[in-house]
Amino acid sequence: MSGKRTVVLGFLGSNLDAGGRKRWDRWRPTVDLCRHDDLIVDRLEILHDRAWTSLASIVRNDVRQVSPETETVLRVTDMGDPWDFEAVYAHLHDFAAEYPWRPEEEDYLIHITTGTHVAQICWFLLAESRRIPAKLVQTAPPARNQRDLDPAERAGTYTIIDLDLSRYDRIATRFAREQIAGLSFLKSGIATRNVAFNALIERIERVAIVSPAPILLQGPTGSGKSRLARRIYELKRARSKVVGGFVEVNCATIRGDGAMSALFGHVKGSFTGALRDRPGLLRAADHGVLFLDEVAELGVEEQALLLRALEEKTFLSVGADTEVGSDFQLIAGTNTDLAEAVAEGRFREDLLARINLWTFHLPGLAARPEDVEPNVDYELARFAESTGCTVRFNKEARDAFLRFATAPDATWPGNFRDLNAALTRLATLAESGRITVDLVAEEVLRLRATWQRRRPDDDVATLVPLLGRDSVDALDRFDRVQLADVVRVVRRSGSLSAAGRELFARSRARKQSVNDADRVRKYLIRHGALEPLRSQGVVSS
Amino acid sequence: MRVIDGSVGGGQILRSSLALSIVTGEPFRINAIRAGRKRPGLMRQHLTAVRAAAAVGVAQVTGDELGSTSVTFRPAGVCAGQHEFHIATAGSAGLVLQTVLPALLTAEKPSHIVLRGGTHNQWAPPFDFLERTFLPLIERMGPTCSARLTRHGFYPAGGGRFTVDVTPAPRLKRLEVLERGNVLSTTGRVLVSRIPPGAATREVAALAELTDWGPDAFRIEELPQRQGPGNVILLEVESDALTAVFAAFGQRGVRAERVAELAARQALAYIAAGVPVGRHLADQLLLPMAIGAGGSFRTLHPVDDHVTTNATLLREWLGVAIEIEPDTETTARVTVK
Repeated sequence: MSGKRTVVLGFLGSNLDAGGRKRWDRWRPTVDLCRHDDLIVDRLEILHDRAWTSLASIVRNDVRQVSPETETVLRVTDMGDPWDFEAVYAHLHDFAAEYPWRPEEEDYLIHITTGTHVAQICWFLLAESRRIPAKLVQTAPPARNQRDLDPAERAGTYTIIDLDLSRYDRIATRFAREQIAGLSFLKSGIATRNVAFNALIERIERVAIVSPAPILLQGPTGSGKSRLARRIYELKRARSKVVGGFVEVNCATIRGDGAMSALFGHVKGSFTGALRDRPGLLRAADHGVLFLDEVAELGVEEQALLLRALEEKTFLSVGADTEVGSDFQLIAGTNTDLAEAVAEGRFREDLLARINLWTFHLPGLAARPEDVEPNVDYELARFAESTGCTVRFNKEARDAFLRFATAPDATWPGNFRDLNAALTRLATLAESGRITVDLVAEEVLRLRATWQRRRPDDDVATLVPLLGRDSVDALDRFDRVQLADVVRVVRRSGSLSAAGRELFARSRARKQSVNDADRVRKYLIRHGALEPLRSQGVVSS
Repeated sequence: MRVIDGSVGGGQILRSSLALSIVTGEPFRINAIRAGRKRPGLMRQHLTAVRAAAAVGVAQVTGDELGSTSVTFRPAGVCAGQHEFHIATAGSAGLVLQTVLPALLTAEKPSHIVLRGGTHNQWAPPFDFLERTFLPLIERMGPTCSARLTRHGFYPAGGGRFTVDVTPAPRLKRLEVLERGNVLSTTGRVLVSRIPPGAATREVAALAELTDWGPDAFRIEELPQRQGPGNVILLEVESDALTAVFAAFGQRGVRAERVAELAARQALAYIAAGVPVGRHLADQLLLPMAIGAGGSFRTLHPVDDHVTTNATLLREWLGVAIEIEPDTETTARVTVK
């Protein structure tokens, strides 16, 4: 035992605890709970209606007689109809808020045998939500035949119920099983093999279940942020951590004037065209999850309001003069480094501090070559599900596709979006459900061509973190494309020598190149890109 | 430190050890308290005994918690004087007295002990046994002990109260109770509190039939309403040697005639055996005799398990010789040296 005092709280049972001449012949839960040989109640708090004061006194006296260790406190509780759930809950809620709990010195037991079933439910709810730091105790009368019992057993039985489910082995094991199901759930049932990715998902799962705090998903475009955000939401909902809906918005699509009212809503007439009230996306996500993808694209004003909404759970709609509340859990997605956006003054530092408590970096597909194969199977299964046509690779074709897809030069810049597109094309073109080597060869050419026609935006995105926006803007397109490609290769290779081997592969084959690494280094120095790469630890200094 | 195995003898070995520790000043640890029981470890009544002993023995105690399976007890003296002990769940106040009394018999000053709780229940000798049988024999060893019951405490309501005044003696004299002598009187009292009066009359009728003590030997005593409900038959056999008390308790579901039979059977077996010391008394006398100048008595054979476990403990702790020798089919002679 803990050396703490044991305190029992419970209602007076106007029937079960009733007095009268024959009261010692009957089992009376409140008195008999103080009569056990292996439980000493140091304090008994009896809640009773004013009308039952004299019965409460009888019980107090009888308890004093059988349990000299027990101090009995009578508390008059006038809560009206003891079968009115709202009244009883409100009453006990207030009681719980005002009661001087001292859990470090006292162990609390709520005696639920006495009182109405409504009271029992309310006790249960308050204890389960930890508003009352107590265990429950349930008592029962002794077996019929008293003669065969020793005195302690004649007081009946008592059972202590701790609502902290993690304390029960069998339940905990069940939870562990569910958790495994949760991991698979977050991965959409894809049996991924990449160790780092699996560890990441495990961590996300734990956080998603335990914490209502914002989650930041960082990763390149197509790495699955949006799908994962929805999965996290579904997991939270399955575990009853949220009850509202999932609201997804790409911040890049709501830039400009409409952004404010899209997010925070507006009241009718607050600006030209505001023909009716609009609650806004934050309001729509009340008690649910709001996924803000490309959060770096959010305007500065919206960032300020979002921060306030996160901290206060209230915000002001456009044109409104009273605040509205929304209690949502935020998942933010970004494919850029928000710290840099802060440094450039594009993103509020305090907002970043608020949302990056849990930051998870989703690797691109190229960084998870072992997961290409399970994702291929997953995409084909999805295709079969949506079209009703089962499609399979033949053996050679499968090998060819996987060889291409996991080779170092398969950069998968669009990540899973590219993979999904490739497989959709393959599956659609497959005659009689077989993907052949020819189809694969065709698809490989198509992908390569796509990846070479990179959008200038991607080049800019590659270079801005290294050189700053002004320097990149000053570059000719001719240089920008080349430099961006070199930087990407260097980043992927991790060393100048490896990058040199890839960049000058043809010359090397003709033995025309001698010092590839040196050529790359000089090229990078000329554009001022070597130092930033070194300071980022991409290449060693 | 002396280590006691608490798995044999349960609460009794604990109480005897506590009493011996205060008397001898020797600390002890008791392990595996009530091991193998359905609910092992210290129960509430044991805890009360430990705390009472700690008060009288000015002891440092560890492990004095419900469910504890190991207790260490280091007495620092004997605190005679005023003591009040309150025993929960109508548990037997007599058993607590048994724990603290031995040390007070030879203390430096008199004691006044108030005991509250159960005075009459079927799991321990009733107050009347202490008052009429046990304490008069203790007085023969030197000290003066007077007990006074102010309120009965039946199971389950408890709430009884009695006091014991002890005037100690410098040392306990040798006690010899070998011959019972003549039976001088045989009487019975039927105590009732807050139960239908019919039960008491039926008990008396049954007792008159079972014994040849005559209808006038039995008396019904109705107790004041303030006590909890209860019913006990107390039979007294007064002989040249001592007054023996036998009890049987009425309870729900047990017929009055059956209760009378339980009481009568004990008393009649005692009278037939011809020995002075009954089963309960044998158990209670061993410890005071062993810490005093010894002695001998004759009792019923075979002796109770309590007597043999207690004898083992006393031999080990005090180095005394205790012999239990059957002298007939139904009687035995117990000698403490």
